[in-house]
Amino acid sequence: MIRIIAIIIIVISDISAQSGFEIATMVDKREVPKDIISKTTMLLTNSKDKTRTSTIFSKSSDNGSKQILWFLSPADDKGVAFLKIEHDNKSDEMRMWLPAFKKVRRISSSKKGDSFMGSDLSYEDMTSRDLEENSYRRLEDDVLDGNNCFVIEVLPNADIKSTYSKHITWIDMKSLIAVQEESYDLSGQLRKKKKFFFDSISGYDVINKIFVKDVQKNHTTTLTMEDIKVDTGLDHSLFQEKNLKRMPRN
Amino acid sequence: MISRFKKFAIKQSINHPLRTLIITLIITIIMGSGLRYFIIEDDMMKMIPKTIKTRIVWDEVKDEFGNTEMVFVAFGNDKINLFNSKSISDLWDFTSQLELLPEVEDVRSLTNLNKMENEDGFLLIDDLVNSRDLSQVQIQEIEDYLNKNLDQRKRVISSKDDYFNIVVIPDKDVADRDAVAKIVETANKLLNDYEIHFGGPSYLIGVVGDLVRDDALFLIRIGLLIMVIILLASLRTFSGVMMVLFVIVLSLVGMMGSMGWIRGLTGSDRFVFSIMNTSMPIILMTIANSDSVHFLTKFFKKLRLTGNKKMAIEQSINSLMMPIFLTSLTTAVAFLSLVFAPIEYMTGYGVSIAIGICWAWILSVTLLPSLIMLKKWPLNSMAVKKPGFLEKLVKRIGYNIVKIPRTVLISSLLIVSIGVYGIKLITTEVNMVSFFSKGNEVRNSLEFLDDNMLGSMDLQFLINGDLKDPELLDQISQLQDYLEQNPYVSISVSIADVIKQMHRTVMDDNPDYEVIPKDQQKVNNLYTMYSMSGDPEDLSSLIDYEYSKGLLTAILKNHSTGQSVEFVNDINNYVEQNFTNYNNVIPTGQVVVLKDMVDLVIKSSVISILVSIVVIALIASFFFRHISWGLFGVIPLSAAVILTFGFMGVLGINLNHVTALLSSVIIGVGVDFAIHYISQYRRLVKQNIAISKQTTSVIDEVGYPILLDALSNMAFGALLFSEFIPLQHMGGLMVFAMISTSFGTLTILACILELITQKKNWMDSLIRRSTK
Repeated sequence: MIRIIAIIIIVISDISAQSGFEIATMVDKREVPKDIISKTTMLLTNSKDKTRTSTIFSKSSDNGSKQILWFLSPADDKGVAFLKIEHDNKSDEMRMWLPAFKKVRRISSSKKGDSFMGSDLSYEDMTSRDLEENSYRRLEDDVLDGNNCFVIEVLPNADIKSTYSKHITWIDMKSLIAVQEESYDLSGQLRKKKKFFFDSISGYDVINKIFVKDVQKNHTTTLTMEDIKVDTGLDHSLFQEKNLKRMPRN
Repeated sequence: MISRFKKFAIKQSINHPLRTLIITLIITIIMGSGLRYFIIEDDMMKMIPKTIKTRIVWDEVKDEFGNTEMVFVAFGNDKINLFNSKSISDLWDFTSQLELLPEVEDVRSLTNLNKMENEDGFLLIDDLVNSRDLSQVQIQEIEDYLNKNLDQRKRVISSKDDYFNIVVIPDKDVADRDAVAKIVETANKLLNDYEIHFGGPSYLIGVVGDLVRDDALFLIRIGLLIMVIILLASLRTFSGVMMVLFVIVLSLVGMMGSMGWIRGLTGSDRFVFSIMNTSMPIILMTIANSDSVHFLTKFFKKLRLTGNKKMAIEQSINSLMMPIFLTSLTTAVAFLSLVFAPIEYMTGYGVSIAIGICWAWILSVTLLPSLIMLKKWPLNSMAVKKPGFLEKLVKRIGYNIVKIPRTVLISSLLIVSIGVYGIKLITTEVNMVSFFSKGNEVRNSLEFLDDNMLGSMDLQFLINGDLKDPELLDQISQLQDYLEQNPYVSISVSIADVIKQMHRTVMDDNPDYEVIPKDQQKVNNLYTMYSMSGDPEDLSSLIDYEYSKGLLTAILKNHSTGQSVEFVNDINNYVEQNFTNYNNVIPTGQVVVLKDMVDLVIKSSVISILVSIVVIALIASFFFRHISWGLFGVIPLSAAVILTFGFMGVLGINLNHVTALLSSVIIGVGVDFAIHYISQYRRLVKQNIAISKQTTSVIDEVGYPILLDALSNMAFGALLFSEFIPLQHMGGLMVFAMISTSFGTLTILACILELITQKKNWMDSLIRRSTK
C-alpha cells in the first residue's frame, strides 16, 4: 500500500517529465496480487451477432504466468482443462486434459498470433510484455471516462516476432492499469480495440472485465470475471498435469 | 400524328437543313454528356439476380465462410527442384506480400501451411515453415513432413517438386478484376526468375471482361471499316456513306449517353455497362445502318426518276416515314420487354437500346435528309445515274421468285425445318475456359494447372446439419472418398479431414485412428483442442460459428458445364441414398451460379423474342389495319429465329450470356426487313400495279436496301477472327442473322405474298379491308 501511495506521489509530482519508457516501467512494477481465483464468463460475438458463451473456473499466480483452468460450460466442453506455464528462456508449457480420450496432451504455443480459445485475444495479447522488447513514446495525455490517462505508443522491437506493428495504450494515471489499447497489424491497419475495467479488491486494482473488438473481423470478446479472490495462497504444486483431471468443486 | 411529323420532317430538312443539323447535333451533345456518368462494370457476378436459389445459397456461403472462390497461382521452372532456400524464401516473400494486399482475404501456400504433429505425446499445431530463411536441414524436415502428409503436399507443390501452388482468396467485397490485377502485378514483380501460371474461376472472371471487351472493341472498329467499304462499293458515293456513318455514330452517342444520364439521375445499378452489354453497340449500329441505308437507296432511286433533289427527299420521306417509324417502334418495344427480365442489367440493356433506336429513327428522317439537302448531287454521278451491281442482282432474284414461288417456299420451309431440329441440339456452356481458343496464353496456363497441379476449377457443397455429430462427419468423409473417385476431382477438403487428422494425432499418430471418432464427446474434445492449440480462424472456411453448416470444397480439373451438371446430379443422388439423418447437401460455387444465370439469360432472351413476335404482330396489325399483315410481318422473323438457333445447335455453338443476347439482332433487323417489304407491297398494290409485276416491283424497290443492309452488317463477321470463342460466335451469328433475316423476307415472305397475290380476290379483299 505504501508502495502504491509512493507511486501516486511520484506520478503526481513528476507527471510531465516522464518518458514513455518510464511510464511503462511504472506499469510493470505495479503491485499485483500473488494469485487470483475467478470464475470467468467468456462471451464471443461474431459479425452476424451469433454468440458462443463459455464459463471457466481459473486459478493463476505470478501475474498470470502460471494458470490452470477448467471448462464448466457449455456441456460439450465440460471437463476439458488447460494448464499454462510461461517461461522466460524457453517456450511456454501448455497442457490440455481431454476427458473423452482420458489423455493429457501438450500443445504448442509457438504461434503467438493464434487466438486464445477462439477469442479475440491472442496468446501474444495474454502474455505480459517484456519491457526491453519494445520501445515507447509518450503521446499527449487524454481523459477517458473522466479519468486522466497517460497515452503511450508501444513499438515492438524489430527482432521480436510480433503480429503487431504498434499499440497505443491509455494508462489510468491513478491505478497505472492500461484501460484502453489499440493494436495495429503489420500493415499498419487498426486490428483490435481493447477496453479494460477494474475494481479494487483487497487493496489491489484487479481487472474484472475485458472487452476486445477485432475491427477487421468485426468479432468481439467480453470476459467477465466474477467471484474474484486474491492472495489465497495457492500452492505452486497446483500447476501440474495431474491436477487437470480433478475439477475443483469451487 | 405520324403524318404531321412527316410534314414537319419534310419541311425542316428541305427548308432548314442547316438548322436541323445544328439542333440534332446539340441534342446529341446533351444526350452524350451523360457519358460522364457512364459506368463500366466488370464484376460479372453482380449481374446475377439475388433472388435465384443458387445465388441465395452462394451468398449465404460467402456470408458464413467468406469468399470461397479461388485464384490459383503456380510458379517454378520445369524439372528444377524447389526444395531450396532461395525458392522457399521467394515463396515466403510472395505469400507475405499477397497477405498484405487489402484486395486479398486469404492466401494458402507452403509458407503459411499449418502442420499438425504428435511428438512424444506433444501435440503441435504450428507453422510448417517458421521463417523466411531456412537451412538445408530445416528444408529437409519440411519435405519429410509433406511426404508423410500427401494430401497437404498435393495442395502446395507439384508432383515433380518443380512448381509451387498458391491459392489466393480475393476479398469478397472486392471485384475479381481488381483483386486479380493486384495478384498478377505482385507475381510479376517478385517472381521474375520463374514461369508463372494463373487460373481459377475468380481469375477467369477477373480477366475475361477486359480481354473480351478490348478484343471486341478492336474488331468492331474493323467491322465498321469493312461496313464502310461495302457501302462505298455498293452506293458508290463517299459522302453518302459518311452520312450513314454520321447517323450511326450520333445514335451510338445518344444511346450510351442516355444510359449514363439514367444511371447518373437514378443511381440505378441496372444502367451500367457490363460484359453482357458488349452486343449493344453492334445491335444499334445494325439498326441505325438499316434505317439510313433504306433512306439513302430510296433517295437515289427517286432522284434517278425525278431528277429533283427536293422532290426526291420529299418522296423518300413520304414513302419511308411509316415503315421506319414502325420498324423502330416495334424493335424498341421488343427491347423494352427486357425490363421484365429477371437479370437487372437487362433493364438497362433494353431501355438504352430502345432510346438509341428511337434516336436513330429521328436522325434518319430529319438529320439524314438535311445532310442530303445540304450536298449537291450531280445527276450524272455514278450513285445516281446507274443502278449498282447489287441492285441488278436483286432484280434478277425477284424475277426468279415470281417464276417458281411454290418451289422456293417449300425449299425455304425445308431449310427452316432443319433449324427446328438443330434447336434441340443447343447446349449451354458457361465454363470460361471455353472462351479461349487453343494456344491462347490464358488457356495454356489453365491447361498447365490441370496437367501439373490440382486443377483450375472448384465446386462447393454446403452441408446443413450438426457438424459435431460423428455420423454426419463420417458420411461427409465417405462423400469425399466418392467424389475423389471422379477423374476430374483432384482433392476435396472439409472439416471431416481436420477431425480425422486430429484424431490420429491425439492417438499418438497411429494411422488406424485417422477416422472420425464414434463418440460425440471425443469430437467435442477435438474441436476444443483445436481452439486451444490452433487458430479457430483456420476452421472458419470449413464450418460456421454454430457448427450447423459445413463447406466441402472440391478442386477439379477443367470440365464442361454439362459435365458439371452431371457431376452435381450424381452427388445429389449419392447424398439421397447414403446420408441418413441429414441430406441437406447443396452444390454451390461460381460454376453452379453462372449456369443458373445463363439459363436465366436464355430464358429471358427466348421470352423477349416471343414477346417481341407478339408485340410486332399486334403493332403491325394495328398500323396496317388487319391482323393478316401482322402475321405476315412475323413470318420472316420467326423463320430467322428458328434458323439462327438451329444453326447454333447444328454447328455446336454454345449458348452463353454473350451469344444468347445477340439473338436480339434478329429481332432488330428481321422486323425491319419484313415491315419495309409489307409497306412497299401495300403501297404498290394500292397504286394498282399489275398483279404479275407486284412481287418483282416490291423486290426491286426494297430488296436492294435489304440486301445492302444485310451485307454491310455482315461486316461484323470480323469478330470471327477474335481469339475469344464467344466473340467468334458473335461474328458468326451476325453473319447468319443477316442471311436468315434477309432470306426470310426475300424468299418466304415474298413467296407467300406472291402465292396469295395469285389468288387475286382474297388479296383484293384484304387490301380493301385494311385501307378503309
